[in-house]
Amino acid sequence: MKVLILAQDEVLRLFSTRRGLISLFGFCLIWMGVLVYGIVPAARFLVGATESGLADVILPRIGIQALQLWPAPELAVYWFVSLSLLPALALLTSADQTASDRARGTLRYLVMRSSRLEIFFGRFLGQLFIMMSVVLATLVSVLIVIGLNSAEQLSQALLSVPAIIVNLIVVLSPFIALMAMVSVVAKSARQATIFAVILWILASVLLNFLTSTFPDVLMLQWSLPGSQIRDLYWLSEWDTLTLAPIPLIHTLVLLTVGAFIMKRRDL
Amino acid sequence: MRDDSAAPVIECQSLAKHYGGAKALDNIDLTLLPGEPIALIGPNGAGKTTLMSLLCGYIKPSAGSVKILGHAPGSTQLSGQLSALPQDALLDPRLNVGRQLIFFARLQGFSSAQAKVEVQRVLDKVGLRESMTTRPSELSHGMRKRIAIAQALIGSPRLVLLDEPTAGIDPPNAKMIRDLVREQSSSTTFMVSSHNLDELERLCGSVIYLEQGRLISYGSIDEDNGDLDSSVLTLRVGNDLPDNFITLSEQLPSVKSVSKTAQGDFLIHTHNDLQASIAVLQLLAENNWNYRQLSRGRSLEERLYGNS
Repeated sequence: MKVLILAQDEVLRLFSTRRGLISLFGFCLIWMGVLVYGIVPAARFLVGATESGLADVILPRIGIQALQLWPAPELAVYWFVSLSLLPALALLTSADQTASDRARGTLRYLVMRSSRLEIFFGRFLGQLFIMMSVVLATLVSVLIVIGLNSAEQLSQALLSVPAIIVNLIVVLSPFIALMAMVSVVAKSARQATIFAVILWILASVLLNFLTSTFPDVLMLQWSLPGSQIRDLYWLSEWDTLTLAPIPLIHTLVLLTVGAFIMKRRDL
Repeated sequence: MRDDSAAPVIECQSLAKHYGGAKALDNIDLTLLPGEPIALIGPNGAGKTTLMSLLCGYIKPSAGSVKILGHAPGSTQLSGQLSALPQDALLDPRLNVGRQLIFFARLQGFSSAQAKVEVQRVLDKVGLRESMTTRPSELSHGMRKRIAIAQALIGSPRLVLLDEPTAGIDPPNAKMIRDLVREQSSSTTFMVSSHNLDELERLCGSVIYLEQGRLISYGSIDEDNGDLDSSVLTLRVGNDLPDNFITLSEQLPSVKSVSKTAQGDFLIHTHNDLQASIAVLQLLAENNWNYRQLSRGRSLEERLYGNS
């Protein structure tokens, strides 16, 4: 199936280019820093704060009470950190799904062999696989830390892994779909990122205006990709999936618009 | 079972492409059958690249319709059937040539192992097998062009569109590309756009002439040469011949008149082209005058742009 061949190529492209390898290396270094100097100390603090009762006071005030509900404190902090960091990473890494290939003319070679929609969805799927690998790799690193501290906590934490993976993929999908759509009209990864930021700001301003004008229309507050993330901090494990329809609808809408433009745009 | 051997490879009906108010292509009706290579010619801005882009599905027509091998451009049924050398399209400079071409072959339905063999075959055809592991950014312009031609030959395409295939290529490699087109043209129909009319005249069996987005003429090279029946010879010379060549040759019994073209060739109107050819060659030999080529009819360049 051509979509899968295109997706596979998108993943392999990351490992075949100097830029891709440097990005991977850079991300690994940053993640090591986040893990060692962020997640591990934060988890220790969480344990201490829970034991002293401080967590019951502080966490509800900053809206992350659910951190105490996870089977291991490292997993709780990972959930918080990944929800904050990975959407930004998804935006950056998936910015060049079709932009530079169109500007260079490489897409002209591809459309002789596969349809525009196959290319569009193949590249999206490839980026989704890349982010899935990032989620798996980061999660494994956290599980190793948990395992080094307590084998009992590790076995409990493993039960939460499927919920985290499914949820993070669902959370990240609209960000990759947004970049798939923006990449169709941009000429480079940088331009795609700038377009996405401008689009985001304009949409936020418009939504703020609309929500203040029509406060009764609750649907408006869920219109932006990622708008459900702040509510996910309150949830844990499989409860997190209760908000999954929102990012899934975002993904569907963004992919439909992107595919529509891709089909009609001159190459 | 349907016999596709005589079915049109390209059908355009009232095809038009407008950019704002500018008409890049205007009301093109064209039906091309499989066979000898087809030349696509015309001055800059005539609409050659626009027509190629419409045929490949890179752009959409403003009006009219196109069918390639019976399907709409961009249709998945054309995968592996239609291929092209697009103008100014580049491979990804960061990835090596072999990897990219193998990926193309896989999209055309080859397995990974078959794709590697096929890519080696097409790179062999353009004399660049050793470039499998080279990145396009490390190759010269001419080599990149040959790689781009190689990608167009992957599989067994029935129709190949080549936009300026020899532009920027050195003479030996340009000849190699012409030989390649000739060799493949028994099984593949080529449409070749170029400004090199001599090249197209030697390579192609028919010619499409566009000007200002309009189809001016289409026909076989020989049919289009209306001077064949009236027995015109074209004498191409290396160094200019003395002034009395025209006077002396017009005295030959089989020659009606002789004129000189803007390109420096001599157009010899004859009563009988065979006798006139012999007589002209004898005249050249007697006076020890050198010549390059004596051919029947007028050159493509002279027919299209000549005023004599």
